[in-house]
Amino acid sequence: MTSAFSIFKKLNIFKKKEVPTKNRGSAAKKAENDDSPILSERLALIKKRLGESNDVVIREFSSSNDKVKMALLYIDGLVDKKMVNDNILQPILSNTIANQYTEKLTSENALELLQKHITSASELSIAPNLTQALKMVLSGDTALFIDQEQKVIICGTRMWEKRTVAEPETEAAVRGPREGFTETMRINTSLLRRRIKHENLRFETMKAGRRTATEINLVYISDLVNQSVLQELRRRIAAIDTDAILESGYIEEFIEDVPFSVFPQIEHTERVDKAAAAILEGRILVMTDNTPFMLIIPTSFFQFIQASEDYYERPFVAFFLRLLRLFVLNVALILPATYVAVISFHHEMLPTSLLLNIAAAREGIPFPAVAEALLMEGTFEVLREAGVRLPRTVGQAVSIVGGLVIGDAAIRAGLVSPGMVIIVSATAISTFAIPAFNASIALRILRFPLIILGSIMGLYGVIFGLIVILIHLAGLQSFGVPYLSPLVHGTIGDMFKSLIRPPLWMSRTRPDMLKLQQQQRQATNVGKRHVPPEKRELTHEKMEENNAGER
Amino acid sequence: MLEKGKISPRQSCQLLIMALIATAILLVPSITIQQLEQDAWLAVLLGTLWGLVTLFAVYQLGLKYPNQTIYEYAQTLLGRWPGKIVGLVYVWSFLRVTAIVIREFGDFMTTSFMPNTPISVFSISLIFLAIWAVFAGLEILARMNEFIIILVISSLIFIMLLSLDNWDLANLQPMFTADLLAVVKTSFIPEVWAVDTITLSVIIPFLTRPKQALVAGAFAAFFANGLLAAGIIAALATFGPFLLQITRFPILTFVRVINIGKILSRFEVLVMVVWVAGVFIKTTLYLYCACLGLAQITDLKEIRPVVLPLGVIVIVWSFSMFNNIAELELSMSTPSARPILIYLGVPLLLLLVSWFKEKLQKRQPRRAQ
Repeated sequence: MTSAFSIFKKLNIFKKKEVPTKNRGSAAKKAENDDSPILSERLALIKKRLGESNDVVIREFSSSNDKVKMALLYIDGLVDKKMVNDNILQPILSNTIANQYTEKLTSENALELLQKHITSASELSIAPNLTQALKMVLSGDTALFIDQEQKVIICGTRMWEKRTVAEPETEAAVRGPREGFTETMRINTSLLRRRIKHENLRFETMKAGRRTATEINLVYISDLVNQSVLQELRRRIAAIDTDAILESGYIEEFIEDVPFSVFPQIEHTERVDKAAAAILEGRILVMTDNTPFMLIIPTSFFQFIQASEDYYERPFVAFFLRLLRLFVLNVALILPATYVAVISFHHEMLPTSLLLNIAAAREGIPFPAVAEALLMEGTFEVLREAGVRLPRTVGQAVSIVGGLVIGDAAIRAGLVSPGMVIIVSATAISTFAIPAFNASIALRILRFPLIILGSIMGLYGVIFGLIVILIHLAGLQSFGVPYLSPLVHGTIGDMFKSLIRPPLWMSRTRPDMLKLQQQQRQATNVGKRHVPPEKRELTHEKMEENNAGER
Repeated sequence: MLEKGKISPRQSCQLLIMALIATAILLVPSITIQQLEQDAWLAVLLGTLWGLVTLFAVYQLGLKYPNQTIYEYAQTLLGRWPGKIVGLVYVWSFLRVTAIVIREFGDFMTTSFMPNTPISVFSISLIFLAIWAVFAGLEILARMNEFIIILVISSLIFIMLLSLDNWDLANLQPMFTADLLAVVKTSFIPEVWAVDTITLSVIIPFLTRPKQALVAGAFAAFFANGLLAAGIIAALATFGPFLLQITRFPILTFVRVINIGKILSRFEVLVMVVWVAGVFIKTTLYLYCACLGLAQITDLKEIRPVVLPLGVIVIVWSFSMFNNIAELELSMSTPSARPILIYLGVPLLLLLVSWFKEKLQKRQPRRAQ
């Protein structure tokens, strides 16, 4: 009995497959054991670990009193060399400056003196061993090794070539700030700080990617954000175990709720004002180093038909634009399918004269409507993709050749009917009118099965496909928030707000679906806003009177 | 608990409205007009009352036995086996409604829109959607419905407004000439009275605020039947009773004749589109109630194993139930005792039993303790 049990135990241990982690652990341990405080041995070890890469710079030197040997380690291109010279090397080496401390340097007090009195770098920290120090160095800091000293002084000297803040290309706006995020985390955080000058704005750092060690910042307002969403987000990001994170899309894929869905469950943005608005609404922004695209969590579907501009224009304009986008969304999804269905099955729906026109135009076209639709839609997708990949100057030529020449020639050659070309181009324009690219491409993908369904079962097929999509959408969640909220599952007020952007002085509360700590956004400004004409204090006559008094 | 999701009273109200309208709008006008001519809408309004009685009984029971469906409290009230038998009767009747709805839908599609397509295409695709949605759960069904109901209600109202052009109010006369007995008799046709309130007996335990179920259900019954009555009046005003008696789907004909400026015309296909969505909700709701019932009666831990088999049974049943649409219509329009027994009698009986039990417990207070 006992022996059988012990066999089980052994089997269990066997099953756990701890082998790779053990290996990793022991390798790290071995490296730590090799790490000795003696400078020459240490430098040899560094050379072994970093290899012969030509951007690794090691500078050995002694203090001005020649008592302590030291060495600097940094990666060329990641550091500010002027800063390394002026703030680290200069104070230690020169005795021209009246610095009494450089004279007192010995290997015993070196660490303390250097840290407290000699080096003048503003960011300074201590790494306990070589492994930690190397991590910092690879991020752009400078390490100062001291002979006979285990600890390493790390000076913050990060400085590299950065792209300047530029206008976001993917999300243009007529009105609104022109600043977009860049690839550098520090610039991005400063852009946000400048917009939200509140003490509760938090930047929480996490790391992901075993080889890339990519920095991830969770940005939120601590007295607004829903704590359980935040915890879940932390948990999911901490659970990422991969070697590389190169773009926020990697993170998006690792943390989204339903991996097998066409629909994007996390919104991303390049616009700083949009990100700031999301944070102020109680959402969490996930910033990833080396990419200008930030993730907004949680996301619901109707965010994709909203643009930051809605809030800068007047409410009526925003209402009109949102209605337009909703309409365009439907057109992009079902117009070609409906056209195919009507042409193939429901002729009676069309007014007679229109039907006759279409029938006349279709005469002599060898394909059924489906084939025509799939052909044209396919061509359009190819053109669009080609236009994205080509250099901008050539891209225009492609659109002219593709759109005008091929379209016209296809009609003349009798391959497709003019009606179909109109439908396909209307659909194409509609997809471009949806503000979010990832949402519009989801609709583009779904268009094809809908066309096929429409050609098989007519409008019934289209509605069948739409119900399938609806079942899927109704089941989706983004970090606990139902995807179709607030239209579904929300309060009536939020429902209207998703379509009608209320005047700012009227929208008192933040969205209910986010379940925030503080619901209220502002005081009631409604009553103060409208003054009936007879009670107005500032009138034209009064303006004149006051002027007369001044004179 | 078999269902983990919760739905709000508002969502339950919307589900009920959808279940009531989806099929009623199709056959009820012609059935009631055949019996009562211009007073058809009276029967519909009167029928709401019977639905409210069911609702009241179900609501009281739901409050007395919180977190229990009718399948569960039937067992606590009547004893294990009699309760299970009552539960099975409900599963049977829910399945029957599902089968009828699917059949009705298939017949409607084949007779009105796609005569060359076999009926099985429509039945099977519909049950496919329903099974999928039942797998997804009640919460997701309710969410979908919130989306669909906006479409359905707004298009129904839109259609009625467009038809104003065709109205001739003289067609509505003479009013109030029907025999009162005939009105009452017609109002007992199960499609006419708001019989779908019985589904609340399954839904109430999954409500976030069960106490509001009464208001939600009553609102749903009044709203749906009011809309239905308005639809009947609109159809009557357009055609007059004699034309309507010989048309099978009055609402469809009604939309067909709408012609505004020669642009807004012949969009009955859109009615079909909207109606498919409604029927899908109703089918799913009833199939869900049946599946949940069978799972609870057989003490299963999950609803999943019974969904597919019941779906297949429903399909076969819908094929074999009637030979053609005329037979279906006939069976619809003949009042029978069975629905009255099941939807009115049993809930009231259960309510009576629970009252008696309470009385008995009060009379012999705490002897056991």
